[in-house]
Amino acid sequence: MDVLHNLAFGFEHALTLQNLLFCAVGCTVGTLVGLLPGLGPLATISLLLPLTYSIPTDGALIMLAGIYYGAQYGDSVSAITMKIPHASSIVACIDGYQMTLKGKTGLALFTAGVSSFIGGTVAILVLAWLAPALGKVAFLFGPADYCALMLVGFVCVSFVTTGSLLNGMAMCLIGVLLGQIGTDVNSGMQRFTMNFSFLADGVGLVSIALGCFGIAEITKNLDNRDERSPFNGKINLIPTWAEFKRIFPSALRGSMIGSFLGILPGGGPVIAQFAAYAVDKRFSKYKHEIGSGAIEGVAGQAAADEAAARTSFIPLMSIGIPENAVMALMMAAFIIKGIQPGPNMIAGHPDLFWGLVASMWVGNCFLLILNVPLVRYWLSVFKIPYGALFPSILFFCCIGTYSVNNNLNDIFITAGFGLVGYIFMRLELDAAPLMLGFILGPMLEENFRRALLMSRGNFSSFLTRPISGTLLGFIGIFIVWQVTAFFLQARKTTAHERLPS
Amino acid sequence: MNDRDLVRGLFIIAIALAFGLGSLRYPIGQFSHAGPGLFPLLVSCLLFLVGLITVVRSRFVGHVPLRFNVKNIAIILSSLCGFVLISEHLNMILAIVFMVFCASAAGASYSVRRNLAISAVLVVVAFAFQKLLGVNLPLY
Repeated sequence: MDVLHNLAFGFEHALTLQNLLFCAVGCTVGTLVGLLPGLGPLATISLLLPLTYSIPTDGALIMLAGIYYGAQYGDSVSAITMKIPHASSIVACIDGYQMTLKGKTGLALFTAGVSSFIGGTVAILVLAWLAPALGKVAFLFGPADYCALMLVGFVCVSFVTTGSLLNGMAMCLIGVLLGQIGTDVNSGMQRFTMNFSFLADGVGLVSIALGCFGIAEITKNLDNRDERSPFNGKINLIPTWAEFKRIFPSALRGSMIGSFLGILPGGGPVIAQFAAYAVDKRFSKYKHEIGSGAIEGVAGQAAADEAAARTSFIPLMSIGIPENAVMALMMAAFIIKGIQPGPNMIAGHPDLFWGLVASMWVGNCFLLILNVPLVRYWLSVFKIPYGALFPSILFFCCIGTYSVNNNLNDIFITAGFGLVGYIFMRLELDAAPLMLGFILGPMLEENFRRALLMSRGNFSSFLTRPISGTLLGFIGIFIVWQVTAFFLQARKTTAHERLPS
Repeated sequence: MNDRDLVRGLFIIAIALAFGLGSLRYPIGQFSHAGPGLFPLLVSCLLFLVGLITVVRSRFVGHVPLRFNVKNIAIILSSLCGFVLISEHLNMILAIVFMVFCASAAGASYSVRRNLAISAVLVVVAFAFQKLLGVNLPLY
C-alpha cells in the first residue's frame, strides 16, 4: 500500500499544469528527435541541458526524461516504416519492416504503441517498488565498492554498446582521462590545462556531447549521402480483435524482460530488445511466424525497449551510479540542478522522485496519444530533405554550446570535439562509453583515492570487501571468457585457412 | 599502414602517452596519500595496455581499410569556426547566413533559394530564443 500512497503523492506533482506541459514538450521533442536522423537522445539532452537552467528542477527533469523515452519510441517508428533506426531500434527493423512490406504498417505501429504503453506501465511499477528498496542496499556501499561498481558498469557498457570489450574500454578510459582535465578537487592543482584559463573548470560536457554525437554524426550522414525516400504507404491503424489479443502475452513477456535487463549495469534498451525477441522466438505461440512479420516480433521488443528505458533510472536514483551514457547525462542534469542522485535523494526530495516516476506514466499516455492516432502527421517529418535539416542541426549545436556560458569561444571546443568524434567514428570507436567515462571519471577518482586512504594504500581491501570482491571477480571472469573466446576463434580461422591448401 | 585496427591501436597509445607523460609533471604521492598525478597515470597505463593489445590483435585479424573523407568534416568545421568569428566581429545574423551557405556545400544538392529560406527560418528561431527564452544572443 505504501507504493500506491507514494505514487498518488507523485501524481499530485506530475499532474500540475506546468509539469504536464513539460512532460508533453519532452515527449514531443523526443519523438521528433527519434524520427529525425542526425540527433540521438544523447545529443538532444545535452542540447537542451543549458536551456533547463531557468526551468524549475522537477519540470526540467521531467522534460529530459520525456525526451529520452520519447526518442526511444520515435526511433521505432522510423525503423518500422523505413527500416532506418537512428539510435537503437535495431530489432524493430526485422519484423516491423516485414509487416510494412506486407502492407500492415498501421498494425505494426499500433502494436508498437500499445506494447510500449504496457512495457512502460510495468516498468514504472517495478521502479516505484524497487528503487526505494535498492536505496537501502546502497548504504552498505563503501568507496571501494563504488569503484568496483563503476568498473563493472564500464565493462558492461563497453561490451553491450560496442560489442568489443577492447574498443569500449578504450573509450571509457579516454573519457575518464578527459574528465581529469581541470582543477583537482583534493589538491587544487590544475591538471592538463596547458595553462589555458578556460580549461580550469574542465572541458564542457555539452561541448563533448554535441561534438561527438551531433557534429560527427552529421558528417557521417553526409559522407554516406543516402537521400531517403519518404514513406508513402497507407496506414490502417485499427486492428481486428484477433490481432489485438495477440499483442498482450508477448508484450507482457517483453515488459518483464525489459524491466529486469534495464536495471543491470550496462543494460538498457538495446540488449532488452534482443533478449525479448529471442524469448518470443522460442516461447511464443506463433514462433514459426516470427521473422516474417509477426505481431509478436514487434510487440515483445517494443515493450522491452520502453520498459528498459524506464528501469534504467533505478541504479541512478537509488545507488547514484548511472549505468549507461544517457543516464550519465541525466545525472549531470540532476547535479546541475543541485541534487545528488543516490540513496538520499528519495528521502530528501520525495516530491521530485515520485513526481518523476508518476510523470513517466503520464508521458506514457502522451506517447500513446501522440503516436497512435497522430502517427500519419509525424511521418511527414520524413519529407524534409537532409540538405535542409543538417544546417539547422548545426545551428542548434552552436546555440546549445553558446548558451552554457554565453561564450562564443566554447563553439571552437565543440568543433574540436566534432573532429575528434569523427576520427573516433572512422576508427569504429563508439563515443557512448566515452560519455559515461567522462561523467563518472571524477567520481571514480574520488572514491579510488578515498578507498586507498582508508586502507592505508593497501589494494587488498578491494578484494576482501564482499561487495567489491564479488564485482571484481565478475570482471575477472568476463575478461578470461573474452580472451579464451578470441583464441578459440583465432584457432578456428587458422584451421579453416589451412584446409584448402 | 592503411589498416583501421592498427591505426586505432596507435591512436589509443598516442592518447595514453599524452596523458601519461603529462601526469608525470604532477606530484604522484603514495598510494595511501595519492597526489594529483597518480590516478591519471594509472588510467593512462591501463589505456596504454588496451592500445597495445589492440595493435597486437590487429596482426591476427583481417585487414579493414580506413576510410576517411576530409572534405565534409573540413567544410563543417570551417562553417562552425566562421560562425564564431563572424558573430564575434560582425553579428550573428550574418553568421547564420554564412553557416548555412558554407555547410550546405557538403550536402548532396546545393540551392541558393533553399539556403535563403533556411537562413530566414533560423534567424526567426534565433530571435524567438532571444526574446522568449532569454538566451543572450548577439544577434545585431
